[in-house]
Amino acid sequence: MFPTLKTGAAMQYPAKRTLQFNTDTIRFLDGTEQRFRENPSVLHRWTIQLDLLDESELATLDQFFVSDQGRFGSFSFTDPWDGTVYPNCSLAADTFGFQLKAEMRGKTTLTVCQNRT
Amino acid sequence: MYYFPQLSSGATGQFPITRQRSARTVINQSCQGYQVKLADPAAAVTAWHLSFEEIDDQELAALEALFQSVEGRLTPFTFLDPVDNLLAWSEQQEQAVWQADPLLTLAGGVPDPMGGTAAYQVGNPTAATLMLQQAIDAPASLDYCLSLYACSDQSTQVWLVRGSATAAQAIGPQWTRLTSAGQLPDSAGSISFGIALDPGATVNVFGIQAEAQTTASIYKQTSETGGVYPNARFRDDTLTITTVGPSRYSCELDIVNVEYL
Repeated sequence: MFPTLKTGAAMQYPAKRTLQFNTDTIRFLDGTEQRFRENPSVLHRWTIQLDLLDESELATLDQFFVSDQGRFGSFSFTDPWDGTVYPNCSLAADTFGFQLKAEMRGKTTLTVCQNRT
Repeated sequence: MYYFPQLSSGATGQFPITRQRSARTVINQSCQGYQVKLADPAAAVTAWHLSFEEIDDQELAALEALFQSVEGRLTPFTFLDPVDNLLAWSEQQEQAVWQADPLLTLAGGVPDPMGGTAAYQVGNPTAATLMLQQAIDAPASLDYCLSLYACSDQSTQVWLVRGSATAAQAIGPQWTRLTSAGQLPDSAGSISFGIALDPGATVNVFGIQAEAQTTASIYKQTSETGGVYPNARFRDDTLTITTVGPSRYSCELDIVNVEYL
């Protein structure tokens, strides 16, 4: 389960959600095209930009990254847009960094991607 | 044993501090988008970017002495993360890193002051004082702050153990954050933090945290690793210092901890 902030929210504004299909295109000599669906369905991806976090919230995210071992682990993520629970998601990167500008002034960015099941 | 020095304020770093963790995952992806993943925990890297402003002659001398002693990025040293809890498994006192005296009772799943159930009930049914503590491989001579939340149905006291220093603090039925801070005249290469209970005492404990600084910051949960990095190195072979006035210096440096080196 992806951790939430103390407010109960998982994301802050500006929040970004990406839908991704994977279409293969074969173009013939006469210019016509034939298109194939490479993947059976759309995959979702969320870019989570977080600001003004306190050290406790950063530690929770950090521990989540450590326990998941970056991209390796999987977890369920609830889409804040519509409440849909995606049971098989992973972090999109093998790095997690944050900057602490002052007390309770932490800033970080995470990307969550839905895995094919 | 080399270790990263503290400033005269007792802090290891100044804001802003940046920390980045890196993992390594090998992924084999099929055309349909299915993935087979393999983790490589040994390749984990933790890196910090530290900025120092307005440091004085003494603080600069300590930094330079370390840099020269370890010869840049050649030799490892112990780095105490300025933005983390030094103790491992801060919410699982049954883990092996916690040394509980025989007959000390531990029961988890107790409601904690953060609204969860991560607190422990610690009881001493014997006629002797019993301790629960964790040792870290860090110089005992530095400034440390031990903090924890405690409460008890009975009006009692709990002893905060910070190396050779112990301090009794009274607690009641309300959760109270207790702290014990300071510097010890001790040249040992390790130091223990924890609590001691008087005979017959039973207390609820949550959020045991040790930090290499003089006051407690917000509690930070940890798991298998705390904020002690005995294999840290300077990332670069150069250390650039800017003198902004008499006995006023600034510098920036990067530190990395790589387990496989």
